Amino acid sequence: MPSTIVEKILARAAGRDAVTAGENLPVRPDRMMAYDFPGYTDVMFRQMHDDFGITELAEPERYVVFIDHMLTRGDGREQEVHQVTRDWCEHYGIALHEADGIGHQVMVEQGYVVPGAFLVHFDGHISGAGAFGALGWGVRRDLLEGWVTGQLHLDVPATTRFDLVGEFPPGVDARDLVHEIIAMLGADGCAHQVMEFGGPGAETMAIGHRQSLCGMAMFTGAVSAVFEPDDEAATHLAALGVEAGTPVTPDADATYAARHTIDLSTLRPRVVEPGSARSANTRHADELAGTPVTKAFIGSCASGRIEDLRAAALVLDGRTVADGVDLNVVPTSQAVHDQAEAEGLLDVLRGAGATIARSSCDFCFGYQKPLQADENCISTGVLNISGRMGSTAANIYMGSASTVAASALAGSITTAEEVGRA
Amino acid sequence: MRTYPPPPDVITGRVAWVFGDDFDIDLVIGVENIKSYDADFLRGVCMQAYDPTFVDRVRPGDVVVGGRNFGYGHPHYPPMVALRDLGIAAVLAESFSPGFWRGETYNGMPLLTVPGISTTAATGDRVEVDWRAADVRLPDSDARLLGTPPSDRAARVVAAGGSLNLLLAEHGRTPATT
Repeated sequence: MPSTIVEKILARAAGRDAVTAGENLPVRPDRMMAYDFPGYTDVMFRQMHDDFGITELAEPERYVVFIDHMLTRGDGREQEVHQVTRDWCEHYGIALHEADGIGHQVMVEQGYVVPGAFLVHFDGHISGAGAFGALGWGVRRDLLEGWVTGQLHLDVPATTRFDLVGEFPPGVDARDLVHEIIAMLGADGCAHQVMEFGGPGAETMAIGHRQSLCGMAMFTGAVSAVFEPDDEAATHLAALGVEAGTPVTPDADATYAARHTIDLSTLRPRVVEPGSARSANTRHADELAGTPVTKAFIGSCASGRIEDLRAAALVLDGRTVADGVDLNVVPTSQAVHDQAEAEGLLDVLRGAGATIARSSCDFCFGYQKPLQADENCISTGVLNISGRMGSTAANIYMGSASTVAASALAGSITTAEEVGRA
Repeated sequence: MRTYPPPPDVITGRVAWVFGDDFDIDLVIGVENIKSYDADFLRGVCMQAYDPTFVDRVRPGDVVVGGRNFGYGHPHYPPMVALRDLGIAAVLAESFSPGFWRGETYNGMPLLTVPGISTTAATGDRVEVDWRAADVRLPDSDARLLGTPPSDRAARVVAAGGSLNLLLAEHGRTPATT
């Protein structure tokens, strides 16, 4: 049966020759991941142990836990939370990756993300795995079903195909593309579906940009996103010493819910107004030009990779951010931090007045340096809902690393092109 | 998390409120309150921004209605805890945001996709919902709408009072008392 990438991956995971969009069936993820967070992992471990009586795991290698939240206050509460996680992981023989960076990046560096793999997490931004032709699906509390039974009941999603052509203009990247798609199709344009990206434009996209695009899939209503695997993805994984996996490509006559062609060369910088990423809040950056900002953030599981740090350094090289602007940069992982240091990017950013923070999720969810009431922040974080990064009375604008860096430089919303560094 | 009994085969009540498209469920209690699971506190803030009489007029069996993409945003669990504590028994919407749908289906809430519901139903209308069939009757306007029935698995989750209860039953366990 002609199939999309996600249909093929789920067919394998379900032990079937083929599956069809709309079917509900149990599937076996290759990896079942979580980050430790009070009310989530502690509850799930306790349920697995006490409610289900599971005292040991048949396949502990399928479970992975990250400590990437609540790392930056250094107080007893953090240690208490993390110790519970450490104890459970030791008890069950589960791999625990602590303070290596944001799990959605560390999972790649640790070799869990291979082409054709099926991974679940309670957090939806695991969809970033799609950059490598893997399917990452955020299943919220249904992760418990996976942890307890080894499989989950899922509806096979339909697929919307995006044929990308052209190449990003300078100062434009995947963040602008995802918001372009939301502006084009609406915040439910791909509801309950998987976005599949391919075509010559897709091949021009850097790996970090693919991770960024796939990691933001939920804001189109999609449950995940996936790129056709190519040499670039294989080369990136090979450099990490990761096995090649089994690349999965779509059949030419696969059935798609919709098909769109996007010319990357036509895109312009996008900025999302505070509230949510819905299309009504999505603007071209120049429409918001001049909006004052005092906080700027480059980081998160969707941005903060080497491509983002290079883009920010390009804008800020030899310059300093505007008076009164606090620019915080959080590399997505420690490995990204080290690479950026080696490339001299962090020196450029420090020289511009940026504060480089330890890699974690803490800035993005308002745990570290929370925003104060009435502050305007421009951010590469994943969410701009009220209260996400601190006070519910603060305003969060979202844009690419280039746009955030340029805006920090100007002290108001602008683009890399406008500050002469596109 | 609080647990709730499964719904009856036919949910009977009134339409407690009709929300618009892309509705962010956190707004039911206000984003400043999304970390609370305290029932009394949530009762005091529930729907205050929309209708101060909501809390007092809702009866068990009432439902809320949504437009397209209900639950969009970054849904937290307390807003639905607040609504369920008041007796809200189902959400009927034009469509649901996937994250909200998965999270609240896990909790055993009937979430029914019913095209046309947001323009047909009005606050205060009587409503009868055969949730397994997504068959919705609005006697006041003599309307009947047929939505998309939940999958067999989703129906079993709802009938069990949530996914945890279903999994426990499937594994011959009962919830541990804590």
